[in-house]
Amino acid sequence: MSALIRDLAPLVLAGVLGPAGAGKLFGRGTARQAPRTALARLLRDGGRAARALRALGAVELLLAAALLAAPVTPLPGAGAALLGAGFLGYLGYARTAAPGSSCGCTARPDAPLTWRAFVRAAAVLAGGIAAALAQQPWWTAVARRPAAGPCLVLGVAVALTALSADPERHWRMPLRRLRLRITGHPLAATGARASVPVAATVTAVPVAATVELLERSRAWQSVSRVVRSALLDHWDDGGWRILQFAGVYGGGPAARPVLVLFAVDAAASLDTVREPAVRVSVIDADSGTPVLATV
Amino acid sequence: MSVYRTGDPLDRRHFLTAAALRGATVIGTGALGTGVIGATALGAVDADAAFAAPIRPLDPAVAESAFAEGRITAINDDVLEVAGSYGDHSRIRVTGATSVWKARATTAADIETGDGLYARGLPLPDGTLAADAVWVNIVNLHATIRGIEKTRLHLAHGHHEIVGNLMAETTNAAYGTASPTADLSRLAIGQSAQVLGAWRPSDGSVDLVRVAVPPGAGRRR
Repeated sequence: MSALIRDLAPLVLAGVLGPAGAGKLFGRGTARQAPRTALARLLRDGGRAARALRALGAVELLLAAALLAAPVTPLPGAGAALLGAGFLGYLGYARTAAPGSSCGCTARPDAPLTWRAFVRAAAVLAGGIAAALAQQPWWTAVARRPAAGPCLVLGVAVALTALSADPERHWRMPLRRLRLRITGHPLAATGARASVPVAATVTAVPVAATVELLERSRAWQSVSRVVRSALLDHWDDGGWRILQFAGVYGGGPAARPVLVLFAVDAAASLDTVREPAVRVSVIDADSGTPVLATV
Repeated sequence: MSVYRTGDPLDRRHFLTAAALRGATVIGTGALGTGVIGATALGAVDADAAFAAPIRPLDPAVAESAFAEGRITAINDDVLEVAGSYGDHSRIRVTGATSVWKARATTAADIETGDGLYARGLPLPDGTLAADAVWVNIVNLHATIRGIEKTRLHLAHGHHEIVGNLMAETTNAAYGTASPTADLSRLAIGQSAQVLGAWRPSDGSVDLVRVAVPPGAGRRR
């Protein structure tokens, strides 16, 4: 088995380096992406980083071609191992110097530095060593083991895909969508509750919707000069929703702290009511007596 | 009696309900277009206002308010010691008349050391800021819904993956221009959303207050 891994390593490694190299060399995003990579920090220039990335892409492509064409020569494998070691060193530097930046490792526009990047680089290093030790061309190895060979390549390909920089978009989101389709929406019950109030005490309208209604009401405008705080407290009582704010009534030395209370229909929102009827009261904060007068 | 949040809450609420229902009834919507919706003399008061600069009051009787933000480093009775994001330091006095928002309207007892805050209030001669309103751990961010479960949403914000905790009775959704609703069943994976919530410093997750989805945005990608 280990001999098979060794002999197939050039093929797998070429499959990894080829697309990554082509993406860097020919990809339109390279120039755009380069300034955001840690390489730009290392070379102190985005343009230089873009050229370096393209050169690296060319090297990767050459290595991929050499691995495919001359699998038993140790040189391409050794080159790939060196490249993997270089990646590891670069990632270590990037992790300490610019942890938030993109690594620029694969052909993706944004591949943040995660443990996956390190595993990918280590895989290139290990693959390079294995390829350098290959005893027979990969096509001979596959021909001799027509079942095990392709299975091994497929398995490694799946593992490498799982290690790709953005697995979320590629397989986790479609899987989650599929699960929702099969099992139903986990929050479907909130929709049923919102449309049919379960009991008089449980209202379907969230406080945020009541506050929105209140803030657009004439009642609010009539006392907004007095209000100082944001929503202090709220509760429902007998179909009413009471909203409490703190405020200051009057100016100068006569200014005194007050509470501003609103009573709004607990089931009303801007979607259901055009002209809200709101009860307003301003009471003295210390005595609780109503502060009468036009405000 | 003091009518702030002291004493037996049921008695206090009972008293205040009666007072509120004795008030005058005012019908109609405000004269829109004349100013900021929901504004007081000092600025808007809903949770979004935490990020808005205070308004210079037109009424000379109303003192100009100040604004502070940062992380709470210590709490000494009713004064919060706050280290600002730009190296500044402020001392914020929280009283019974101060509204405290921490995912919902709550009291100063819920404020903890390590919390982040935005505060608006009046500067006092002793150097403290007498807070009218305090918003604790408030975050307002643009995210993509990446997963939906019974008790939480998985959100992507740039490179960051954020867990959004759904809170019964509090989390609401706003679809397009409709008003907020408790119906979360129309949220879908792949939608982009403006998320208002309270960040939990302990685990970095966000208690979701409002998930606003633009009309038909990012439904399927």
